[in-house]
Amino acid sequence: MPKIMIIEDDRAVREELTLLLKNEGYIPIPVTSFQDIVQQIKEDDPDLILLDLGLPGQDGLSLCAELRRDSNTPIIFVTSRNSTADELLALSMGGDDYICKPYNIPLLLTRIKVILRRSSLKAEPDYTEINGLRLNLAKGTVTANNMTICLTRNEIQILAHLMAHAGEIVSRADLIESLWNSKIYIDDNTLSVNITRLRNKLDELGLADYIKTRRGLGYQI
Amino acid sequence: MAFREFLSDRMGKTILEILIMTLTSVILFTTGTQSGVIALLIILICLIRITSLLVSFFICRSHLNELERIMSGLDRKYLFTECTPPPKTLYERKLFALMRHSCKSMTESVSDAESAIHEYREYVESWVHEIKSPITAAKLICHDMNPETRRRLSQELARIEAHVERALFYARMENPERDCIIRECNLEEIVSKTIETYRTLLMQSNIRIETDNLNHQIYTDEKWTCFILGQLMQNAARYQNEFCSNEHSSFKHSSFARFVSHTRMNTENLYASNDTSVISISAERIGKDRLILDVSDNGIGIPSHELPRVFDRGFTGSNGRAKGGSTGMGLYLCRKLADFLDIDIQIISAENEGTCVTLTFPARDLSIENP
Repeated sequence: MPKIMIIEDDRAVREELTLLLKNEGYIPIPVTSFQDIVQQIKEDDPDLILLDLGLPGQDGLSLCAELRRDSNTPIIFVTSRNSTADELLALSMGGDDYICKPYNIPLLLTRIKVILRRSSLKAEPDYTEINGLRLNLAKGTVTANNMTICLTRNEIQILAHLMAHAGEIVSRADLIESLWNSKIYIDDNTLSVNITRLRNKLDELGLADYIKTRRGLGYQI
Repeated sequence: MAFREFLSDRMGKTILEILIMTLTSVILFTTGTQSGVIALLIILICLIRITSLLVSFFICRSHLNELERIMSGLDRKYLFTECTPPPKTLYERKLFALMRHSCKSMTESVSDAESAIHEYREYVESWVHEIKSPITAAKLICHDMNPETRRRLSQELARIEAHVERALFYARMENPERDCIIRECNLEEIVSKTIETYRTLLMQSNIRIETDNLNHQIYTDEKWTCFILGQLMQNAARYQNEFCSNEHSSFKHSSFARFVSHTRMNTENLYASNDTSVISISAERIGKDRLILDVSDNGIGIPSHELPRVFDRGFTGSNGRAKGGSTGMGLYLCRKLADFLDIDIQIISAENEGTCVTLTFPARDLSIENP
């Protein structure tokens, strides 16, 4: 499990972030004393550092520059300053990403995932298979009963989200949120249209009622 | 200063001189001086007087011109008395000293006011940065709650955030050059960052966003442009039409749709479905160095008589009053920031049919120059 060091002076944010990352399956290392951060980083050797720019006593930027001298640990800056100048300065100091407070949690998690993947070069499997249906994310196709069919971007995303939560009930609002996370900005009606089309396509593969409707709750695979 | 004005200013003195001359002539005449001598005397005196008047007129005029030149060259007019040479006569010197005293006290109050504004701005900025930490903490806390509560809470948090953001940009507007960096940005990235920033507000107002042809490079400040777009999208999400099944089926052929399509907009996307709210964002390059971005919706629109005032500070309009909670700051800030970024901002709208805001960015197309 990747270790993520949290360097953040606001206690509430630090604690909640620690909890969040733990729930997401990472090992969070919250830093509570800001005196010898460089030393702590060397000891703990994290895979990623979340660094707040407004630290007491020390400027986050100079800390980053100091770290960069002998380490390549990815750094995501987290800051409440949001001018272009701040962002450019931070990235030129060797930061890998820059997120403004108050950030969206899914966005933060996505960025962490992206940066960890970039540094570890571990590829995720490009297909998932549940109940006899195989979804190939790279090709954008579904296969069942030796038949393959192409899906649209929206349909892939809906199906991928449902499959990732197989067995659970996924509410329409959850689905919309997951689509928005993938930069597909749709509303409730459009979701209905897409679900209907997806079901028709699955029907053609002989998988009628693959996506079950739980009235008043949402969908389930 | 015309000569006539100059003369009328000295009328009293001249009349007095004429009276004295007449009196002198009468006395000289009655005491037996020859009339020829008197006439010669009068002509001589008049000549001297007229010459002296003319000379003093020209001196006075050139002095005034000099002062006016100094005034027009001044950036801050109230510093005038500090920059003029002191006058020569005692009376003028006294007047000048009084004027100078008054200007000095004025300069002091102006600089007091300026530093007060500056301090206030600094405070607002630091306050905004402070408040972001608790908001972040609240967001993190509500992430673990049950979905229903989480959504309702994050909606309220998003509203707080939007207000905070407006306050920040309002404070920044005082001297915009301090935080602004113009550089080459990708429009598509800006739009998707904007949607990311305001996603909670947009998503929960159940609106669809369609983008088209946004992959262009423009020259602007990313954060500020995001803010402007964010305000426009928030407005679109806020002022949605209540869609009933077939009420707007003729929408595609309405006058507004035709009007908008005249303005080179891709109406196909916007009106593809008539029964849901849509924000449509599309761009088009105009010539070599400009790019037009349309942000349009199919919302309730703005009454035509209110359109000229929507960019005014604090103007809420009938829609804002009907909805409540409108501050009248969003579009005002947009116009101010756009002016500074050299973005032209125009708005067209038709009631119950939609609103289209057009931003014109400076953008040089490199692909044309280096094919």
